[in-house]
Amino acid sequence: MLSIQHISKHFGTVHALNDVSFDVPDGQILGLIGQNGAGKSTTFHSILNFITYEGTITWQGHSLSANDFDTIGYLPEERSLMPKLTIEQQVVYLARLKGQPAKETRAHIDEWLQRFAVKGTRKSRIKDLSKGNQQKVQLICTLIHHPKLLILDEPFSGLDPVNADLLKQAVLTARDEGAAIIFSSHDMEHVTALCDQLVMLRKGDVVLHGTLAEVRNQFGKTELYVTTDWTPDRLQALPGVVAVTVRQPRQYLLQLNDPAAGPAIFEALTEGHYIEEFSQQPPTLDEIFRLKVGEDHA
Amino acid sequence: MHKTWIVTFETYLRQIKSWSFLFMILGPFLMIGLTVGISYVSANSASSSREVAVISDSQPLRQAFIKQNDGLNTKITTVKAAKQALKKDHLAGYLVLSTDNQQFKADYHGSDSMGSSLRAQTQNFLVTYQQAANYQQANLTAKQRKTLARTPALTQHIAKKTGTANTAKKVSFWLLVTMIYIILITYSSIAAQEIASEKGTKIMEIIFSSTTATSYFIGKIMGILLVILTQIVVYLLGGWAGYQFAINNAKLKPLFTEYHSLINAVIHNLLNTNLVYLLLGVVIYTVLSAYSGAIVAKAEDASKAAQPVVMLSMLGFFLTFPFQSNLDAVFVKIMSYVPFFSSYFMPMRIINGTASGLEQGLSLAILLAAIGLFAWYIGSQYQRLMLQTDSKSIWQQWLHGWRHQD
Repeated sequence: MLSIQHISKHFGTVHALNDVSFDVPDGQILGLIGQNGAGKSTTFHSILNFITYEGTITWQGHSLSANDFDTIGYLPEERSLMPKLTIEQQVVYLARLKGQPAKETRAHIDEWLQRFAVKGTRKSRIKDLSKGNQQKVQLICTLIHHPKLLILDEPFSGLDPVNADLLKQAVLTARDEGAAIIFSSHDMEHVTALCDQLVMLRKGDVVLHGTLAEVRNQFGKTELYVTTDWTPDRLQALPGVVAVTVRQPRQYLLQLNDPAAGPAIFEALTEGHYIEEFSQQPPTLDEIFRLKVGEDHA
Repeated sequence: MHKTWIVTFETYLRQIKSWSFLFMILGPFLMIGLTVGISYVSANSASSSREVAVISDSQPLRQAFIKQNDGLNTKITTVKAAKQALKKDHLAGYLVLSTDNQQFKADYHGSDSMGSSLRAQTQNFLVTYQQAANYQQANLTAKQRKTLARTPALTQHIAKKTGTANTAKKVSFWLLVTMIYIILITYSSIAAQEIASEKGTKIMEIIFSSTTATSYFIGKIMGILLVILTQIVVYLLGGWAGYQFAINNAKLKPLFTEYHSLINAVIHNLLNTNLVYLLLGVVIYTVLSAYSGAIVAKAEDASKAAQPVVMLSMLGFFLTFPFQSNLDAVFVKIMSYVPFFSSYFMPMRIINGTASGLEQGLSLAILLAAIGLFAWYIGSQYQRLMLQTDSKSIWQQWLHGWRHQD
């Protein structure tokens, strides 16, 4: 388990991290979300000892040291490989630095290239690959030694939906093999699809922490999905409704100021008759993210 | 240590597989080969036109002249044939030997004046033959002939051992400092650019999540040193092969035989403690270059990174010049203990035999300690420097390094 306890980091007068705490158990995925500059990369750099910090970070009960390097897979935010090397040379070099023998890596390169649908062979030079394929090679470098702690900084950035699905699958496989995984993303869909728990940072402070359900339920069931013949104006006039969004013709999303307003609205909409859709839910992660970001701007 | 070796070999292979390294290694050999080749072709094509034919009605006279002189055309025996060959530019000229009224004569015909060497040889030949003929004609007694044949004597008495030793010192000094200087200048740039090109790149984050910065830094330095060692070994082998060729070559062998003791003395001066100074000098300058590469603001500034090291190396090189004939100067003694400069000054003292074993040992110990401390300090700063992407100047980076350890 990766345990982060009360870590703080200052760059001059700027508080990059302020008393951040969370755990990532083995076989679980934690999503780290937040705006640019919220402290996500600083958190990763603290875990990897790239910078000094106040607080405690432990991996499997002890401070992370050089002996643990072989168990870590790290994908930095911006991609960077050695352009003159071939895919094989690059992957073998980085895997050897992770303690995996060259022979073992060479035996599995084609399998990994196939899994990530890389357009190129093991002999292709990095500089000749497209940006997307370079990114996939970098992902292979991160995963090929089967790390027990996987740190992915914006792994989905720049990937098309098909390749994003390939990465998702690889991350889930690593989780099933027992790896503790922490990744940052601006795409709440990926976080929702993958994470067992999430942490939202804002200016270095933890503003949200918990499982997806816990986080969403903190906000109450203030989202009401309905399909009805009522007009938006009529819906807006219902008690407790603060906003109406048209999803599709006849399909609406009502924002409630109080989850308790639901039963009264149900009564009004049905008037004893059939209704095609009535679903009261907490806000989505994307909406929560916008909400929290909005608080900051308010 | 295992990961250090991985970095070492990756750095080494990347460098020696590059075209620039290949050209750098083969450059001197190509230049020498090209020069020798051009000279050989030029000599061969011009040799026939530089020859001089010897023609005479007296065959014994002609044969005697040919026997005493090299590089003459022996095939042409008539004036007519010689004129034709001269016209076609196949001869430099022809020499007609004759006797007229007991007087020996030589008439040279050519497109240009006679070469000084051939002219002197011809003059000697004619004087010898004329003298013999004169003696015969004058009916002199043996005693009279002996008296007339007496010539003044000029003999030079040179202390050969001392002269050779002095020349060997000068040659050794220049060879050594030039070698140190060229290697330092070349590899300072390579080391600084190798490090600077990685500055601020995300690959460094991946690497520092795989191995310690110190281990990586030492691996890089060792990789570059292996490249330097490869170049030195290639040049030593090339030098040995050239030497073997030269001593087995009929034309060059006399030269090497004549200067045998000088060559041995120079080799001895190079292959002793001075070689250790050369290697350690390269190590400390490579470490400094790596540091210089690590403190540039960004990878694009890699080409500028080596400048401070190159300047320091140039300073060491040029500072030795005024003291070549004043090795007892206090300045020389002090500098032979100062790291970065001792690699120039102590070999100078060793070659001239003015440094005791104790002094050499002390200087080496200081140099080794400086290398160790320097490598330790840079290793501790390396991760911070390499991951830094702000645009601080070199001095700001350096000051920051002393003030902060994070």
